[in-house]
Amino acid sequence: MLSRVAESLFWMSRYFERAENTARFLDVNFNLLLDLNKITHIENPSYWVALILVTSDKERFNSIYDEYTARTVTDYLVFNKNNPNSITSCIGLARENARSIIESISSEMWEQINNLYHYLQSVTPQFVHNDPYGFYKEIKNASHLFQGITDNTFSHNEGWDFIQIAKYLERTDNIARLIDVKYHMLLSEAQSQPELVEGSEDIIQWMAVLKSCSALEAFRKVYLSKIDPDNILRFLILDRTFPRSINFSVCAAEDALWRISGSSRHRYVNNADRLIGKLEAELSYTAIEDIFAKGLHNYLEDLEQRLVKVGEQVHLTYFAYHTPEIESSDIEEALPFTGIAGGRANWSQAQQHQQQQ
Amino acid sequence: MSRFFERYEAETAQFFDEVISKEGAPRPHYDKMLHRFGQFSIDDIKARREIVNIFFRNQGITFTVYGEDEGVERLFPFDLIPRVLPAHEWQSIEKGLIQRITALNAFLNDIYHDQKILKDKVIPAELILGSQHFRREFVGINPPLGIYIHVTGSDIIRDGQGHYMVLEDNLRTPSGVSYMLQNRQAMKRAFPVLFDKYKIRPIENYPQELLRTLQEIGPGSRREPNVVVLTPGIYNSAYFEHSFLARQMGVELTEGKDLVVNNNKVYTRTTRGLELVDVIYRRVDDAFLDPLVFRPDSKLGVAGLVNAYRKGNVTLANAIGCGVADDKVIYSFVPKIIKYYLGEDPILQNVPTWLASNPADLKYILANLGSLVVKAANESGGYGMLIGPESTIEQQENFAEMIVANPRNYIAQPTISLSRHPSFFNDTELLGCHIDLRPYVLYGKTITIVPGGLTRVALKRGSLVVNSSQGGGSKDTWVVDE
Repeated sequence: MLSRVAESLFWMSRYFERAENTARFLDVNFNLLLDLNKITHIENPSYWVALILVTSDKERFNSIYDEYTARTVTDYLVFNKNNPNSITSCIGLARENARSIIESISSEMWEQINNLYHYLQSVTPQFVHNDPYGFYKEIKNASHLFQGITDNTFSHNEGWDFIQIAKYLERTDNIARLIDVKYHMLLSEAQSQPELVEGSEDIIQWMAVLKSCSALEAFRKVYLSKIDPDNILRFLILDRTFPRSINFSVCAAEDALWRISGSSRHRYVNNADRLIGKLEAELSYTAIEDIFAKGLHNYLEDLEQRLVKVGEQVHLTYFAYHTPEIESSDIEEALPFTGIAGGRANWSQAQQHQQQQ
Repeated sequence: MSRFFERYEAETAQFFDEVISKEGAPRPHYDKMLHRFGQFSIDDIKARREIVNIFFRNQGITFTVYGEDEGVERLFPFDLIPRVLPAHEWQSIEKGLIQRITALNAFLNDIYHDQKILKDKVIPAELILGSQHFRREFVGINPPLGIYIHVTGSDIIRDGQGHYMVLEDNLRTPSGVSYMLQNRQAMKRAFPVLFDKYKIRPIENYPQELLRTLQEIGPGSRREPNVVVLTPGIYNSAYFEHSFLARQMGVELTEGKDLVVNNNKVYTRTTRGLELVDVIYRRVDDAFLDPLVFRPDSKLGVAGLVNAYRKGNVTLANAIGCGVADDKVIYSFVPKIIKYYLGEDPILQNVPTWLASNPADLKYILANLGSLVVKAANESGGYGMLIGPESTIEQQENFAEMIVANPRNYIAQPTISLSRHPSFFNDTELLGCHIDLRPYVLYGKTITIVPGGLTRVALKRGSLVVNSSQGGGSKDTWVVDE
């Protein structure tokens, strides 16, 4: 398969998943604030700044808006064309990628991306403001529909595997960030109102996180009603069967990578396989206590950085194909990666291309 | 006669009508069609129009009209009434094209080797050597089998007496063949019964014939040469066709960035490493092929491609430098070219052409601007043209200045009233619309022409321009055995 086609499949899928997760971030915040409206105002800026902190870079936001409110943050994360991670930008980019390989994907897949794109063109900020729940549900459903269409109309060969890798790498990264949103808010509340952190509001917040991962019902089947942070984190990070848990997603990405390269459990053939295999093995033998011992935030940040490395290696191995005769540089050193601190805005297709040059 | 044709005004005194003869009777090869359309009501036609539209939309056969912000996708205009060519007429077109393409290829081979035709002064040397499409750096290069023009699409018209004539030889990257194939599919869906009544020669094998031709011209001894299509990318107006042909042939559709040249060999970049490429069916103009040789700002090409080509490691279809032979000035010499290389008289006639570079002709052109069509030698697609009878005095004066300033760049032809074919106007009435014909000629070990071609039709009242960029449409074209 042409590297360009594989790369476009990868980014089409990745941007689509990113849009879905941004919708989930916003959705969790609205859920939270509605549940907590007795103790805090819906415009409480600390809830909204957290979203900007974990989803994108603060500087760009501050250059456009003066304050953190439901309206500005929603506008930035849903509509803003200068934010490459806004839902509108992501779907636009997914569509551009799909368009460039239209002969390789099924016409049903194209139709679905195109429909969502045109839907987003027709939506106004007022519409989202009036019915945030309905709007985010629309985005999530569109993404689910796209995945179902892809599974049922597109050959499950190498191209499909690239779609899976992209989807699960992006999803893992986003679950980690979603948990981080909660962490940030806990932190800011602990500073202002220490007595609240341990209370029932905490449980309400965690339930909102579960809901945003469509995980509340699945969680209850495992842990009944014992909604405490340990169990919730154990479920979202380490569960091997729930499709929006970190462990599940890493396993799925690993499966797809290994199918492409023909790697197996005891033998890897490239660095992408090695890094994902290592991550998967560690997750399999990690207990929630190990994570707490390391500190949840540190653990998640480390995980995010390792996912970036995997993405880098996928790029180097399959998309930016170098032959030894043409460029003799060592693969591992070919592209120094320049940091993750500002959030996921640091990782995009355009950036990879820039680095390649 | 059918209710649609009863009201149809052929105006045979003024125009050659493809369906109705001068005497006002239908031509015999249209009998069955007229009978069939006679059974249709307006609603029947609308229902069939819907079938065709859905087919085109599902196939993605749209072209994009760019406005302010978002592109609008439109269906390519298609007329429901097919054009019928009787086998004996087609036979002489086919013979004429084979003769013409053989001679033009011999001409290119000569121009890029010994230049005998120039030494014998059949064509003034300065016309060739001064042409912007002459690539002197490729003199002496030997393309496989000595073939330069692997895929061509000559434009053929009929004059007021119904004589077939060649209007243009498109020797570079003629487009439209995907419409020819899709038109046939659409007609089969909408009018299956009509197909039963005619013995229509099939055209569906075009992609296979194209692939066979491309494999035959492979450079080396590889039994299955690796063929790719090279497209300028998704923003090109013919992108649909590039992707369609690649899909139909089962080969990779590549952009410049998918190809890489190493050690004078061309490879595709794939997820499994580099794969050697033998033949490139390129739909990118010469000037954009290789930034190291031609335009350095081109992002569509492949650095090093031309050297790989010169070394004979990869074949380009069509070869570099073919444009020198489809220049509108050289066009006027094609009858002489045929005579020179083949010793034959041309089977297909040229449209009479005056060259502004020839002083006697120039005088005639300037005196008759009001009745002639003046064309710039190197433009295509209906640009840079003066249509005398439709022009103002001011436009004529402007053109006169430009012609005198640069006579090499202008030719003039009489205004020919193209033949007309009844076509549906709003699905309710028939209108005589001007048409032409573009058959596609494949040149490998042999010359193959799939029967028929693309009939383009000027779907505007009175319009003579059939180019799709100027509002033209197309219709299915049937070569039928009697």
